Amino acid sequence: QQIQEDLNKQLLDNLVSFLSQSHSAFQEKTTEWTCRMKFREIPTAALVLGVNVTDHDLTFRGLSDVLQENITPYIALLEAKDCPGIKNLMQKLMGQLMNCDIDVDSLEDEEYVPVSQNRIRCSMSSLISWYESVTKKTDSETPSKKRNASSRHWQSPPVVVIFKDMESFTTKVLQDFIVISSQHIHELPLVLIFGIATSPMIIHRLLPHSVSSLLCIELFQSLSCKEHLSTIIDKLLLTSQFPFKLGEKVLQVLFNIFLYHDFSVQNFIKGFQLCIVEHFYSQPLSVLCCQLVDAKKRVNFLSHDQCENIRRLPSFRRYVEKQESGKQIALLTTDNFLKEETEKLLEDLHVYHENYVSVLRCLHVFTSSLPKYPLGKQIRELHCACLENRVWETEEYESSLQLARMLNKTDLVSMLQQCVEILLSSSGKEFDKTVEKLKEFLTQFQNLEAEASQERDVSISSQKELQKKTDLYHLQKTLLELKESRWSKKLTRFEMLRFEVVDYIDSLVRTYLVPADNRTLHEVVYFNAAAVLRGHLNAAPRTALHTALNNPHWYLKNQALKCDGGGISNKAPDICIVYKLHLECGRLINLVDWLEAFSTVVMAGEEPNADATSSDQVDDIIHARFIRAVSELELLGFIKPSKQKTDHVARLTWGGC
Amino acid sequence: LAKKKKEKKMSNLVEEYFEAHSSSKVLTSDRTLQKLRKRRLNQQTLHDLLKRAPLAYAAEIKDLNQQHESLFSKWMLQLHLGFNIVLYGLGSKRDLLEKFRTSLLQDSVHLVVNGYFPSITVRSILNSITEEVLDHIGTFRSPLDQLEFIIKRFKEDSSLELYVLIHNLDSQMLRGERSQQILAQLSSLPSIYLIASIDHINAPLMWDQAKLSLYNWLWYETTTFSPYVEETSYENSLLVQQSGSLALSSLMHVLRSLTLNARGIFRLLAQHQLEKKDNPSYPGLSFQDFYQQCREAFLVNSDLTLRAQLTEFRDHKLIRTKRGADGVEYLLIPIDDSTLTDFLEKEDEDV
Repeated sequence: QQIQEDLNKQLLDNLVSFLSQSHSAFQEKTTEWTCRMKFREIPTAALVLGVNVTDHDLTFRGLSDVLQENITPYIALLEAKDCPGIKNLMQKLMGQLMNCDIDVDSLEDEEYVPVSQNRIRCSMSSLISWYESVTKKTDSETPSKKRNASSRHWQSPPVVVIFKDMESFTTKVLQDFIVISSQHIHELPLVLIFGIATSPMIIHRLLPHSVSSLLCIELFQSLSCKEHLSTIIDKLLLTSQFPFKLGEKVLQVLFNIFLYHDFSVQNFIKGFQLCIVEHFYSQPLSVLCCQLVDAKKRVNFLSHDQCENIRRLPSFRRYVEKQESGKQIALLTTDNFLKEETEKLLEDLHVYHENYVSVLRCLHVFTSSLPKYPLGKQIRELHCACLENRVWETEEYESSLQLARMLNKTDLVSMLQQCVEILLSSSGKEFDKTVEKLKEFLTQFQNLEAEASQERDVSISSQKELQKKTDLYHLQKTLLELKESRWSKKLTRFEMLRFEVVDYIDSLVRTYLVPADNRTLHEVVYFNAAAVLRGHLNAAPRTALHTALNNPHWYLKNQALKCDGGGISNKAPDICIVYKLHLECGRLINLVDWLEAFSTVVMAGEEPNADATSSDQVDDIIHARFIRAVSELELLGFIKPSKQKTDHVARLTWGGC
Repeated sequence: LAKKKKEKKMSNLVEEYFEAHSSSKVLTSDRTLQKLRKRRLNQQTLHDLLKRAPLAYAAEIKDLNQQHESLFSKWMLQLHLGFNIVLYGLGSKRDLLEKFRTSLLQDSVHLVVNGYFPSITVRSILNSITEEVLDHIGTFRSPLDQLEFIIKRFKEDSSLELYVLIHNLDSQMLRGERSQQILAQLSSLPSIYLIASIDHINAPLMWDQAKLSLYNWLWYETTTFSPYVEETSYENSLLVQQSGSLALSSLMHVLRSLTLNARGIFRLLAQHQLEKKDNPSYPGLSFQDFYQQCREAFLVNSDLTLRAQLTEFRDHKLIRTKRGADGVEYLLIPIDDSTLTDFLEKEDEDV
């Protein structure tokens, strides 16, 4: 679990750095713009951030850090949930600004008495007087003691107010704030930044013309979340750096949640984290899931039980079956031999991953430029396809190869160059030969160019010949010859070469992109329990209730509960019977009829052992059970009491669920 | 093919919805519980009766519970990794959580919140954190302030750890937007570990994206099939006698102790109300008319005695007065007609 936590941390650090990286360009733009702003109207930056609200926190934090370093120490982050009224908003704003100020000051160890924010009356005028005092202080200070170099030429640094979620602010609060601050813009240089999840249209919908005319809005677009996803996939899944890998099904689940549910990168990361946890928790051999050097050490320390675990792996069994009998016995009995063999296998697996990634990227270069994208546009789709089964057996691969055979030369050359670059950058040793080969192809292409011009010369000369010969018979003959030659040399050298290249790529794919399921010991590093993951992340409580109420025997393993579909079994738990009876009703249910139906069903079940003497008592008990079941259904939200008719309840679900 | 099937299922669902809601007319029989000639049960007798009824499939339910209990150590691990756990499924999850608490949380600081308890509020949860866990005495202006204080304390002191177990996170009192927001922010603290259970079918509706990401849920299906004993004891069911409203037995009891004339007055009012029961816009009997009728029956002799009598009725919640649009006081008995009929019949027997 130590490893796992390390891994987790490593992963999260990585992610955070990627995210901030991808934001930095965008942030710089905003910063630059903030510097340029003028003092006429309130300058406003509208950041269009996309619907994945949960990821925005990081963006804003980064943004405020950048701003703080470069321009101004006065930044306030406002959230809609803190500001139900204009009073709260002002309070929050004041508090944050003054805290900012104190923070910055304390860094420079000045003896500044912290103001307790609660005492101060929060109004715009007090804010302004505070601001003036601060700026005066900054002004009066000697240049050597000024805060930092960048803010020195800002005699009056702007005050930046960030509205994190524009959509959830109440219109009135926002309008009031803008109007108020526009009155004081000369004394208090404010800059507003709106974080917008939907589209810039919302500004105009939220603010009437009179208010929005006070703003000088500039629009900034952030990266779409899909691009974030692809960088994350690039850096997380398609590296050999992380020993832990995801299986195809799990990937599909994660992508589906991302693309069809929430577009949230954070949730994707959470899913990934959960995969790691599950993997290290459930799989006893996951101790070997680490860098190769460590793994080899750990293999040596394996206990006998763990060796047995290795032997039990399905992929290992397959491997054993392929060996000759002497080795088989050794593998299955001697631990030491097994350990040696395991080391080799792990090494194989490692090498396989390194090769896999670079070949995958090469293939992606080819397929992503084809029309209609038979294998998918994004590398993640290709990755999934490769993991799912042998990619060269699929129809899509077939058609993409056919399309690749029709590529023109310039494209092909540029693609080959890209491939060479990718392969050079990869760490795998086996690619020297491949790179050589590809380079050879490239030079051949360059040669081809020269040859092609020659060929053209030839054809031109033949044309000239044609013009020379004026004899009708000869003309006919040469024309025929020409035609024939064109037919016969269907394949120019270029085309031949093209075929060769495509075939070579094909062979690369076949050797390196074997799906991971076929490798021995893949269980150590691949996590494949998609159902578990889906259950935990994307649960369906309603379906669970439905199955529990409809087929209780699914949970309670009792023979008596097994029955054919539609009927109501009298042996089911009370709540199931009541539920099934309620399914047969319309919108309103009469309690008396319901009770009677229930008691009929239950009596039928109890008849064999019921004694006639205590029928009254049994009746009471049935009544009580019915009450309990009905109130349980009410608790679960299937029914609610209705006032429409006496002793009726309204059904809140419809149809058969 | 599967997709097509699904589509078909979808359209079926939609059609079923409109089918169910197409006609405003409802076809059910007009029978009511009064006609059943069965006394209504009160909470206590219900409890006793249920105790006598054997719990079906005890063995299987025990098996199920053991399955869930095997997950306990995994839950602990996941809680420590920053996830929060939510349990769903049919059956009460109270015992399960209780078992989790007793087996694993014995020596650590933990807080149990009974969400099904009808008078619980977020405020009380926050109070118990600040007072019991943080040993802070003092009041806060608003829950938000309190929350801020808690967050600050937990961030400062990393040794503080708190397990919060919430039974029925989706209960009436906690399902509001603001309480969920506060709970979500609380649960997003890394040193607060939250385990909650939900029961309502529409419980996930109360969380939006932001809250979900704060909660960081891991869902676990824990179908237990055990009866909701504690949870439904507060659920005022239709079939259980409610203490708030008046029942026949208490009505009889009160009237037995009154004078003959007072009983006559009440009878008069009840009869009048029953005569008019088919008229839905019947506002009640005006005081003047009632006084006239009582005088004619020699039940009262002055305006004052009738008023005194009516005040006594009102104190026992036997009648309700309502001012009409014309400013006249109208008198009504807030009991359903069938109980009233029963009462009159009983009275007749007595006399």
